[in-house]
Amino acid sequence: MKAVGARLPRYDGVGHVTGRTRFVDDVRVGKTLWVKALRSPHHHAAITRLDVSKAAAMPGVHAIVTHEDIPRNVYGHLEALGVPGDEPLLAAEDVRYLGQPIAAVAAESEAAAQAAVEAIEVSYEEKPALFDIRKALDPDAPQIHHWGNVYPHYGSYNHRRVRKGNIDWAFEKADVIVEGVYRPQAIEQLPLETQVCTVVPEPDGRLTVYSCTQAMYFSMGVVAAHLQWPLNRLKFVGGTVGGGFGGKVDTATDTICCLLALKARRPVKWRWTREEEMLCSSTRAPWHIELADAVTSDGWILGRRTLTIHDAGAYARFSPYGLTKHAFHHSGAYTIPNLRFDGFVAFTNRVPTTAMRGFGVTSVSFAVETHLNRVAEAIGMDPWELRLKNANRVGDTTGNGVTLKDPSTVPVTLAAAERVGIELPAEYRAMTSDPRGGDLLPEHLAAQQNLSELNGGGH
Amino acid sequence: MRLTVNGIESEISSPPLTPLLHVLRDELDVTSPKAGCQQGGCGTCTVLVDGEPRRSCLTPVAAVDGASITTLEGVGEPERLSPVQAAFYEKYAAQCGFCTPGMIMAATALIDRKGGPVERDEVLEALGGHYCRCTGYVKIVDAVMAASRGEVGDVQDLPVSEAGEPSVEVHGSPA
Amino acid sequence: MAPQVLIPQSADEAATLYGDGEGITVFAGGTILMPELASGRIRPERALLLHASGLSGIRSDGGVIRIGAMTPVAALVDGPVPWLLSIYATHVADYEVRQSATIGGNICAPPGRESQRGDLGAALIALGARVRSAGKGGERTEAVEDFLSGDRSGRLVLEIEIDVDAARKSGASGKRRKHAHSYAIANVAIAERDGELRVAVAGVGPTAVRCRSVEASRDPQDVLEDVDPVDDAVATAEYRRQILPLLVREALDRLETE
Ligand SMILES: Cc1cc2nc3c(=O)[nH]c(=O)nc-3n(C[C@H](O)[C@H](O)[C@H](O)COP(=O)(O)OP(=O)(O)OC[C@H]3O[C@@H](n4cnc5c(N)ncnc54)[C@H](O)[C@@H]3O)c2cc1C
Ligand code: FES
Ligand code: FES
Repeated sequence: MKAVGARLPRYDGVGHVTGRTRFVDDVRVGKTLWVKALRSPHHHAAITRLDVSKAAAMPGVHAIVTHEDIPRNVYGHLEALGVPGDEPLLAAEDVRYLGQPIAAVAAESEAAAQAAVEAIEVSYEEKPALFDIRKALDPDAPQIHHWGNVYPHYGSYNHRRVRKGNIDWAFEKADVIVEGVYRPQAIEQLPLETQVCTVVPEPDGRLTVYSCTQAMYFSMGVVAAHLQWPLNRLKFVGGTVGGGFGGKVDTATDTICCLLALKARRPVKWRWTREEEMLCSSTRAPWHIELADAVTSDGWILGRRTLTIHDAGAYARFSPYGLTKHAFHHSGAYTIPNLRFDGFVAFTNRVPTTAMRGFGVTSVSFAVETHLNRVAEAIGMDPWELRLKNANRVGDTTGNGVTLKDPSTVPVTLAAAERVGIELPAEYRAMTSDPRGGDLLPEHLAAQQNLSELNGGGH
Repeated sequence: MRLTVNGIESEISSPPLTPLLHVLRDELDVTSPKAGCQQGGCGTCTVLVDGEPRRSCLTPVAAVDGASITTLEGVGEPERLSPVQAAFYEKYAAQCGFCTPGMIMAATALIDRKGGPVERDEVLEALGGHYCRCTGYVKIVDAVMAASRGEVGDVQDLPVSEAGEPSVEVHGSPA
Repeated sequence: MAPQVLIPQSADEAATLYGDGEGITVFAGGTILMPELASGRIRPERALLLHASGLSGIRSDGGVIRIGAMTPVAALVDGPVPWLLSIYATHVADYEVRQSATIGGNICAPPGRESQRGDLGAALIALGARVRSAGKGGERTEAVEDFLSGDRSGRLVLEIEIDVDAARKSGASGKRRKHAHSYAIANVAIAERDGELRVAVAGVGPTAVRCRSVEASRDPQDVLEDVDPVDDAVATAEYRRQILPLLVREALDRLETE
């Protein structure tokens, strides 16, 4: 272990402080064309007419692409993992969020590209839009997707389920039932470098892609799928990302730049404006989380019922996976023997949502920790003691059937209490992660083994 | 129009309303000032115009015709870092590095103005319009204060890293 | 099409080139216009750049402080101007933007899309400042509040005048979000001269407004007769309505105690 705890120089540090680090926007290739996109001005509409002929004839314009130019327009970011695709690279019939790209232009300058975008003839028929996920499941909600408003592929279910123990027993046995609704909102990751890409057509027929992606091989797969190309015709250059925080996991610019570079036979570059980044790039997802805990008056959490609705925005992208992570973490760092979790990925007319630091987990942790404070208040117990009592211990089983070997809830909670100067009773201070025993192994926890079941496949 | 950029004088052919930022990046290939927002809001495009920090995205090039411009490339060399550069490097004040050019230019100008140690509130005032999304501001403010006090110098004491990957062996690491 | 760019070398040349302002976009510091240009929201036919026209500077002329339209907001922060103007100047943008941003641009700024603008307006009105401008029908000088409530298009601002003894006492109370780039949610400025109060509010609507009801009654609640706050990205109209009387009360209290 030479690295942990050691003060090591950043290998890219000198480049950063001398202005020599080459970000994607700093790559210089001769005769590069600029890209601009026609984006939907509506949250939800049908495209009734799209004619790029006038724009294509404008001075300085070298290529325009629409859905017709894309070998495979509809592809899903998780398709390789079995999540069916739902998102067109360029909108064909419907636009489902404000800012959704419909066509893209490569021209001699940013201004020429923008002028051409404005010359594209397009008409829309507006449709009612949906923004509140809680309403997505209502029968009279505007229908957004060919799937309806719920992503339906969790094995044989249309949502992610977790079942552990006997939830009805827990709620019958409880002294107190504590309910709460939590709605963490969307957050823009806001990297200082906006989405940017440069693509160079090489003489051997390959494409070199200078990408700001956070997930190089992943983006390669997405581009190859849309182009219907083998991976070996793509050369990705990346590794210098001007901040991502999850927002650069989605492949936002690379594929469209590849299509334009091929069509124009020239290098192209697309750098989003800050405004595009704020309006059209994916955000952290908003969630609607309803929790109900069955609690004894001496502070045991016997059971938890959870209804979660994850706002995917207009398309699935990584949301099915985010919800799965959310499901795994919905009991927090605590052992709750009886669980019933139902989580839906719902569509709205917001920008598609994606990863941001703790995808799916941060939202549920916020809900769980806030909820535990409410539980403590409801039964008049110290919130630290409530947490320690129900903390994960060696040998406990989680909702998704994992038997814990080295959980850290107890030492971390104790260390946190010490740091903020909380005096805990001696019996709590003496706690460890060791397997439960004595009065910390009440009957209902002793019987918990092998009761969990995670329903539904998919991601 | 003419500009002297990092000591080199050039004739400028971009149209007069072109932001100085684009003249530097696209006409002169001086790429350390970044286009973080192009609306004055982030500070990563900041350069020195006749020694004073200015947002290059807000400055039409015609308004600085004849001026002397300093960008991060002109502050120091990789082998000869300025005190502010050395402090940013040594104190880990740059993560992704995208805000770093503007931060260092603003800090350099502040220390020049003050001509001596700068205090925390002075750094906050001078750099308050510069955004960093990675580092948080503690290390950046510490680096500027240290640089103003000449408290840099153990850069040499840091182990030298090879180009590419750091020379670190991590036994048993899953990666 | 690239715009025609005019760079006058004196105030007179600026006024001549400006004419009646038809088809001309005036560039002062550019802190508002350059982002508009970059985003393609404006496409000027003819641009008049004022940086070389000698309109910058603060001078004292008898009993009058004359502030050139091109004077950077930074120069108001620690310059020879009344305290009330300085204090609000320190709240405009950040250190670097203030070096470029001008006082002329501040009072000519059109309302923003996401926030109100012209945060200096309240101080200028309270101080009884006058605007000297050129344009159709030649030069004229008028009270700031008249300039702001009139049709500003077609006017080239040359100078702001403030009487040296504009305020015997003054009071300020403003609200903004706690970061460098927050425009005012509401700025209240009050000045007293010869027992007469001048009260003004900026940041709650498209331009700063003189509050004659409050001046007459000295009742903070009356501020809602004078202004009709708007919703924007920095605050809701409701929030502004709630805090405005409190800010006026605070500014009045400070006036008394100074
Ligand atoms: C990051 C950031 C933060 C900001 N924060 C604030 C803030 O907190 N408060 C605030 O009030 N403003 C703020 N601003 C806006 C702006 O910086 C100021 O309002 C500034 O004073 C505008 O002056 P300027 O010279 O840059 O204007 P310009 O952009 O040059 O011009 C603005 C407008 O005024 C017109 N104009 C300029 N001068 C004249 C003249 N002499 N005669 C006729 N018309 C003229 C122009 O044609 C244009 O319509 C901010 C701007 C940025 C980029
Ligand atoms: S690019 Fe100039 S301030 Fe952000
Ligand atoms: S280091 Fe990434 S934005 Fe500052």
